[in-house]
Order: sequence, then C-alpha cells, then structure tokens
Amino acid sequence: MLLSMNGLSIYHKKRCIVDKVSLALAYGEWHAVAGESGSGKSVTALSIAGLLPNELSAEGSIFYEGIDLLTFSHKKMRLLRGKKISYIFQDYQGSFTPFMTIGSQFDEMLCTHTDLPKKARQTKALLSLEEVGLPPERTFCSYPFQLSGGQVQRAAIAMATMLQPKLIIADEPTTALDSITATAVLQLLKKRQSETGCGVLFITHDLRTVKKYSDTVSVMQYGRIVETGRPHHVLAKPKHEYTKQLVSALPPLCNVPVRLGREALKEGLK
Amino acid sequence: MKMIANRLLELVLFLLVLSFISFAFMKLAPGDPVRYMLNIDDVAVSEERIEELREELGFNEPIIVQYGLWLVRFFQFDLGISYMTQQPVTQELAEKLPATLILTFCSVVIMTLISVPVGSLSALYKNKMIDQVSRLFALIGASVPSFWLGLLLIQWFSVKLGWLPSMGSDSILHLILPSVTLGVAMAAVYVRLLRSSLLESLNQDFVISAKARGLSSFRIFWFHALRHSMVPVITIFGVSLGSLLGGTVIIEVLFSYPGIGKLVVDAIVRRDYPVIQGYILFMGLFVAVINILVDLSYRYLDPEIRLKEGGST
Amino acid sequence: MKQIIVHKPIFLIGGMLILVLTFAAAISFIVPYDPLHVNMKERLLPAGAGHILGTDHLGRDIFSRIIAGAKTTVGTGLLILGAAVVIGVPAGLISGYAGGRFDRIFMRIIDAFMAFPDYIVAIVLSGLLGPGMLNLIFAIVMVKWVGYARLVRGTVLSQKQKDYIILAKINGLGPMRILWKHMMPHVAGNVLVLATLDLGKVILMIAALSYIGLGAQPPAPEWGAMLNDGKAFFYHKPELMIIPGVCIMLVVLLSNLAGDFLRDHYDVKSQKGGQ
Repeated sequence: MLLSMNGLSIYHKKRCIVDKVSLALAYGEWHAVAGESGSGKSVTALSIAGLLPNELSAEGSIFYEGIDLLTFSHKKMRLLRGKKISYIFQDYQGSFTPFMTIGSQFDEMLCTHTDLPKKARQTKALLSLEEVGLPPERTFCSYPFQLSGGQVQRAAIAMATMLQPKLIIADEPTTALDSITATAVLQLLKKRQSETGCGVLFITHDLRTVKKYSDTVSVMQYGRIVETGRPHHVLAKPKHEYTKQLVSALPPLCNVPVRLGREALKEGLK
Repeated sequence: MKMIANRLLELVLFLLVLSFISFAFMKLAPGDPVRYMLNIDDVAVSEERIEELREELGFNEPIIVQYGLWLVRFFQFDLGISYMTQQPVTQELAEKLPATLILTFCSVVIMTLISVPVGSLSALYKNKMIDQVSRLFALIGASVPSFWLGLLLIQWFSVKLGWLPSMGSDSILHLILPSVTLGVAMAAVYVRLLRSSLLESLNQDFVISAKARGLSSFRIFWFHALRHSMVPVITIFGVSLGSLLGGTVIIEVLFSYPGIGKLVVDAIVRRDYPVIQGYILFMGLFVAVINILVDLSYRYLDPEIRLKEGGST
Repeated sequence: MKQIIVHKPIFLIGGMLILVLTFAAAISFIVPYDPLHVNMKERLLPAGAGHILGTDHLGRDIFSRIIAGAKTTVGTGLLILGAAVVIGVPAGLISGYAGGRFDRIFMRIIDAFMAFPDYIVAIVLSGLLGPGMLNLIFAIVMVKWVGYARLVRGTVLSQKQKDYIILAKINGLGPMRILWKHMMPHVAGNVLVLATLDLGKVILMIAALSYIGLGAQPPAPEWGAMLNDGKAFFYHKPELMIIPGVCIMLVVLLSNLAGDFLRDHYDVKSQKGGQ
C-alpha cells in the first residue's frame, strides 16, 4: 500500500471533525473521496502531509509506504512535501504566490528539493511546463494573474508532478473552473498519472468525475466514510442512504436527447 | 509615464490652490505683522513708520494684487524675507531642513529596528507570551504622548544619569534621544499593523501552497508572507511620512533641536508670516512628492498594478 | 440582528460618556482649591495633608488643576469630535448619495485635506489664527471632519448598490427617509468606532499643541500646558510632569481600548478568519 489511514480522527479543540476514517490507496491508483462541502474531506487531505492549521489536531495513523507520517518531525515532513507527496488545491489563485513569477516559484521548489545547478533547474522547469501543454518560456516569465484559471491549474499540475512524487493529493482542483477547462485539466492529470505512475487521492464533490477517472471511491459524510468500493459498483448500487441521495441528485446529462435541442433551435430560427 | 505626468500636473494645481488659501488665511488672521516686526526691539514706534513699512511691503494693495506679486516672486524661488532674522525664507528653510531630515531618517531606522522583529515574532507566536507582551507594548506606546516620553527620557538619561545631551544638535549624541523618542512612538503603531497584516498573509492560500511544496518556513516567511504584508504597511507608512514630519515639530521644540519644525513654531509665536507661508508651501510640496513616491513603490511591490498600467499606456 | 449589534455599543459608549461627565461634574464640587489661585508662600509643596498631590511652582494645588484640566482636555476632545461628526457625517451622506459631479468635487477637496498630515494642518492653522484654545479647536475640527465624511461616503456608496436600497427606492421612499432609516444604522456603527479611536488621538493632539504653546494659554489648567509649566522644575519635583503625563496616558489608553473593543465587535472582516 502506498498510503493507508487507520482510524484517523481530527479535532478542532474538543469537537470531532473527522471521525476514525480508514482509507487505503495502492501504488498508481486513483482514489476519489466524494462528499458534500463540510464533510471533512479537505481536512483529511491536509492532514496527510501535516498541513493542518494549528488549531486542528490529528489522531490515529497515516502510513505512507509503511511509515507513520503523524510521528514524523517537522523537518522530515517538510522534505517529503512536494518531493514525495504533492498537492493541487481548489482555488487556483492561491496555488502560486501572486507577486512572484511562475518561473521563480518553480526554481524555488527545485532549490529546496534538489541540488541542481541553475541552468539545469531552469531546463527542468521548462520541460515540465511543456509537458502540461503550456508555452514554456512565456509561462516561466509570467505572473500568476497573467494566466487564466485553467493555465494556472496546468502550471500547478506541472509543479506537482515535476519531481515525480509517488502521491498527488488533488483537493477539488476543478471546482473553480468552467466545465470545459475542468475536463481538460482532469484529462491532463490522468495523463500525467499514467506517465509517472503516481497514486492520486482525488477530493471532489462531483460524482461524474468519480465515475470517469477513479479506480476506487470513498463517500464521506459528517466526517465519516460511509461507503467504499469500485465506482461503478458504488454508484450503480449505492448501499448507504447518503450515497443514494448523491447519486439521485446527479443531473441526467447523458440522457438529454440531442435532436430535441436541434429542433428547438430550428424552430427559433424560423 | 503618463501617470507621473498627471500626478505632476495635479501637484502644480494643488500648490497653487494651497498657496492662495494660505495667503488668504494670513491676510484674514488677527494681529498686525508690521507692528510685530517693529516691536521686536521693544522701542516705541511712530504711526508714520508703521505706515511707511506697510507701503514698503505692499500691504496697502488689494489682496489679489498682493497675491499676484507674491506668486511672481515665488516662481523665482523668492519666498520673502523673514521678519525675525531678516534672512531670505528660502535660505532659512534650506539651512534647517537637513537637521529635520536626519532626525526623521534616524527615527525611521529605529522604528524599523523595533517594529519588524517585534511585529514578526508577535505574528509567528500568536497568543503566546511574546505576543501578549508586544501587544501590551503597542497599546501603551500608542497611548503615551510622545513629548512626555521625550521628557521622561531627558529626565532619566540626561538629568539623572548624565549620559546623553538633551538640547541642541552639535553631535551625533544629540540625535539619540529625539530619534529614540520618535522611533518608539511610531514603532507602537507599526508593531500592531505589521502583526495584523502578517497574520492575514500567513492565512492566505498561497502560503499553504508554498508549505505544501515543502519550502522552509524561513523562506515562506521572508519571501512570501512578509512581502505580501508589506503592501498595507508601506501604504500606511507613506501616508504617515507627512505626519512623521508633524511629529518632529513637537519633538524638535522639546529638544530645542534646530530643524524646520522648531523654525515654524518660533515663527508662529512671533507671527513671522513669510516663514509660516514658506513652511506651508514646502510641506505641501514635500507631502505631495512623498505620495507620488509611495504610489511608485507599490508598483514595485505589486506587479499586478505595474503590469496593468504598463499595458494601458 | 442588525438592531442588536447597533444598539449594544451605543449603550456602552453612552454609559461611558455619562460616567465621565458625572465624574467631572461631581468632582468640581469637591475640588478643594481654585485651580487658578496663586499662593507664592506655598510653592512646590510635596504631596501631603493640605494638598493631596502637592503644589506647583506658583503654589497652585495640583490636584485641583488636574481635575480642572480633565474638563479642559477631555471636554475639549469630546467637543471637537462632536463638531467633526456633525460636519462630516451629513457631508459624507449627501456626497455619497448624490454622487455625480458634486461627489467628484467633494472627493477632490477631501483628498487635498487628507494629503496633509493631521499635525501639520493643525499646527499651521492654529499658527495662522494665532495661539489660543478656540483656534486650536477650530484647527483640529478642520483636520478631523474629513475622516468622517470619507468614511460615511464610503459606507453609503457600498450600500447604495444593494438590492434592499433599490427596493426601497422602487417602493417610493424619499431620499431623506432612505438615508435616515437604511443608511444611518450602517453609518452609525462605523462612525462610533472611528470616533472612539479618534478621541485618544485628539486628546494627544490637544496636549501636544498646548505643550508647544499653541493651545491652552497660561494660566488655564490643561494637561499639556501643565507639562510645559512643570518642565523647568522636573529635576526637583518630577511629579509636576509625571502626574499630568500619566493622566493623558490613561485617558488615551481607555479610549484606545474602547475603540479596539468596538472595532472587534463591529468589523465583520476580523470576525471571519478561521477555516
């Protein structure tokens, strides 16, 4: 197992936000955690690499390649972040520091985790930007606000996969994007996953993306995991009441008859 | 470039209006400067002499003519002659200015030396002991009258201990007490400001992203959070650079420090109008130039403003 | 909800003001000596039986002068703030609500005022008008009203676009009624916070200007002027400058604390935080 959580609980002061969550992720697997906002999925994701805000505390264990991350020192944990475990966040505006160029932030990260010379660092950064389909030189010199949301998320994926981490944690990376851009970003993430063979922990509230991309899925409600399994299994025959609600709330987009739309359009033109 | 040109145009207009208002105010103000001038030696003067001087100074012309004449001289950098010292006002101001600027600079240095470390520690150790202490310092510091703090420092360091001189500006030692007084008073404000600004920055998403990339907390603090929180701090600093000069007035009087602040207070007490007017115009110019410089410094700190304006011109 | 938030601090501040005023009124009865009474035989007495805090260089009772000074310093401070609010708030309301060219011209004036630091304008104005308490009051009001006008204008502008104001207009409410019923509750809180925070600054300013001789003139008892009087004697009798200084500090500290408290309870921004 690449990652396995056993009875992970997260507290805010005395209040329990995440209640004894257990979850396992194999090497190269895409595991989705679905649930509505406030169900504790983001906090769970943050706890893996020790990114919880100070007022939250975690109990239980999170094994990464057999070592319990909760026992790690701050320094060891820091060197793991970005190199072995990367994050991609929801709010693309917060993915990069606004007043630094994308390039300097790539460079900063390479400085932290490698001892490559300056020239090699730049080559590596440009290469990884190219791999996500961005014009490398121009993006390298741009500030985050000069890029569109989709471009920023692409750059974030480039950065997250640059050091070939074993685990990528994507916390609703497409929620802030429009649906066309979102699909492109997800396909890119999938492509990078198959190229690097990393595991993906994918946090989402959108069951449609679960169906399409993930190998396994966990459904979370009120800080607990209520159902786990293969997506076609879980979504086709939901056992838990909450999962049934989620599935029935899905808009039946795939069943809209195409001809109806065309005919209505013709009517309108007359 | 266009922005700078616009600002300069505004500046000229502003100075014109300012000069007219101050000119009008002075004419309306009570007290006859001619009598003040002649009474300096405390000798009785005849009405004839007063009338003579009045004519000589052009005080019998209509205000608008007087203003026009004054304006013409103003553009020749002639602000008139001080009634008190019989020196040209421009020269008086130029002589006293360096002392004030040095004092201001030293107090800003002291303010920075106090507020950056204290404010940063306070934000990093929020609600810990060190934070409580520094907040108490900030609260008390903001409530202490600066001239009183200066008096206490004089009492302690020059009267009791005899370490430092309290009056004048003959050596670098004379600078210590006034600039510490000013610096401490200002630091109280900036500790607080930097703390709250840093706390906000440290909560930003981009800081979490930087953390998730594995950057060291040292790097995150100095290169990401601190710079972000400097924008509001610089704004306030720029806006208050002028009031810093106002603050030096009180401190200059307190320490008998020969800068332009003391010059203008002396002039006010003696109704030395040309000097007061020179001071107003000079300050107007100074504050306006500072404001322009502050705007320019944002453009460095925040590339978004810089690039947007670059695109539009 | 809004009602409760608006009213609680008003009670608080009202209570504080009443407390200060009753205190000042009550104390003027028990003041043992005439604060202006000069008695050269009793110069620079130490604190003790006859004089609770001793006497100054002209034999005047310090305690009586401090109490009288409280009325001058704090009373003048409140007066100045009152005047600034009375001028600034309507100006801001009208400018913000009317908008258009009037508003633009108004903003220019405000910007010009704001460009100048408080202390310099106050010093120069009271300098042009001549030293004296009335001129000082005028000078500080001129400095301070701008802040209120600007704040109120900003609040009005931000509320003007909200749906409920548009609805009120559609329902035929007149501008006076909209301003009074719908704008004032938003404006009142902000103004209150600013005024409380300003009280300390104004008191500091009165004291500082009096100290350099531009405000209260001798022999009037005013804390800043008392500091100036005591300066010459502070080697032999440091109380002469310590007592008024501590008084200024305490009053300013109180108003700063009250201001912070109000701001924290008003400011929606600082309540957010967390998640």
